[in-house]
Amino acid sequence: MNLFALSPMQESAGQIALAAVLAIVGFAFLLPQPKGRKVAVGIAALIAASAVFVAWIYTTYGQPMPDIIGTVLFCLFSAGALLFGTALVVQSNPGRGAIAFAFVILSTCGLFLLLAAPFLMAATIIIYAGAIIVTFLFVLMLSHAGGPSDENNRSREPLLGALAGFAFTGLVLFSLYLSQGGAQAASAAESPKIAQRLPAQVLTLEERNTLLAAVAKLDAVEEQLAGDTTPIAERGRVDDYFKGVQDQIATVAGSNTVISQYGSIATRLEKVGEKVTPLRGDQQSLRVLRQTAEVRKQNEKAYDAVVNHLFDSKPDRATVKAELRTLRDQTLLLAGVGDLPARNVGNLGYLLYTDHLLAVELAGTLLLVATIGAIAITQRKGAVA
Amino acid sequence: MITLWHYLAVAAAMFGIGLVGFLTRRNMITMFLCAEMMFQGVAINFVAFARYHGNLQGQVFVLFIIAVAACEAGVALALFLMLYRRGKSLDASDWQSLREMGVPPTVDTVPLPVEAVTEDDRLAPAGVRPKHIPSEEEAARV
Repeated sequence: MNLFALSPMQESAGQIALAAVLAIVGFAFLLPQPKGRKVAVGIAALIAASAVFVAWIYTTYGQPMPDIIGTVLFCLFSAGALLFGTALVVQSNPGRGAIAFAFVILSTCGLFLLLAAPFLMAATIIIYAGAIIVTFLFVLMLSHAGGPSDENNRSREPLLGALAGFAFTGLVLFSLYLSQGGAQAASAAESPKIAQRLPAQVLTLEERNTLLAAVAKLDAVEEQLAGDTTPIAERGRVDDYFKGVQDQIATVAGSNTVISQYGSIATRLEKVGEKVTPLRGDQQSLRVLRQTAEVRKQNEKAYDAVVNHLFDSKPDRATVKAELRTLRDQTLLLAGVGDLPARNVGNLGYLLYTDHLLAVELAGTLLLVATIGAIAITQRKGAVA
Repeated sequence: MITLWHYLAVAAAMFGIGLVGFLTRRNMITMFLCAEMMFQGVAINFVAFARYHGNLQGQVFVLFIIAVAACEAGVALALFLMLYRRGKSLDASDWQSLREMGVPPTVDTVPLPVEAVTEDDRLAPAGVRPKHIPSEEEAARV
């Protein structure tokens, strides 16, 4: 028996602890101190900490990367946010700190954009652009020009502060690991389970692929029809093609054949009304359900049209084409509705002014109170109004 | 594929860095910026969960976070201004007389490094020619 063999959980805990300790050492050396700081040692420790952190993320949640651009952008923005955040904390000059904070905000906005939140990205940039300019104003107005000062060149307990902050972060990361993600990622190595992707799927990847394959087949059928010069053999091939398409769409949208871990769309989403914990119970998934039913209906209609086309002595090719085209478009639409659409600004506004109207009013009142409070705080006693 | 957990891990790290800054730095403006960074970490959590669940509730929550952050910025900067007027400094430790009873005060023992101050050149008052001894190089050139 190997006494040094570690379970995945212990290994993960060890990695997190190592990253936290290295980060604590790095920050303790880098935070401003009157004795002077050891920049090289601090930066080396921080680089080592980030390497361990990245390695932990990769071993715990790392999946093969089909979406290369998204992955690269995510790495870029998150690295930027963490790097400039560190610069903000260890920078003794508050003006430079404000510039670093501006970059933190820009990186965060990049992450918002990747998470399909374009309105929040714009709002954050606009609001924080104003906030940062005001902060600059304050820095210029209030800081002493030149020379070291108590507030900029001293830190309050750098070692203990870094210990508190990173011990907290380490615990959060470890509890993240203990929650579903870590456990699932650990078992994903053994069985090809569906990984927790963003977002929780209305349509699984397999289902979407099946739908896209059906669209491709429909396109092929359409080409066949275009070249159809009434020989029966040709028409038979159209029928063969179309049967394949129907089977595929039925797998996804119609029958109760279990095709993924969660079953087909219909079985999966129809659990919503029952006491069974639904995978998704929101408006979007209900809409997908309706859309699936429509595709199923259109599928039958198109099939009828093709059958009529085959047995009719004078086939009406225009109708068949139109039905097939409608079916193709609907299938394509269904394949695309799995994700939270990025164009959600209108929906956000609708949600704000219907479900959260009271909260909007309260936020407005809070802003008003804060404005009055700020004026009241800064007013000099005895100043002439 | 980037999963929800990647975003949560980055947000946790951002929150932790902001927390360290808030605990250790003494400049009130820097502390304020660190607190804003912690807000951003939380906002990433909310938006990531909004995307994960495929609805917009998380984004709505972040909008309210931004509103609260704006209020906080207004009041905090007004407070800094008032404290600066009284103490002529942005050092948060200047106000440690507000600390809890029985807690010993923080005393800065290590002196700040002294920077060698070089006297700036000054303009001579108008009308009188300044006394100027040319250096060797200057003399050679003239």
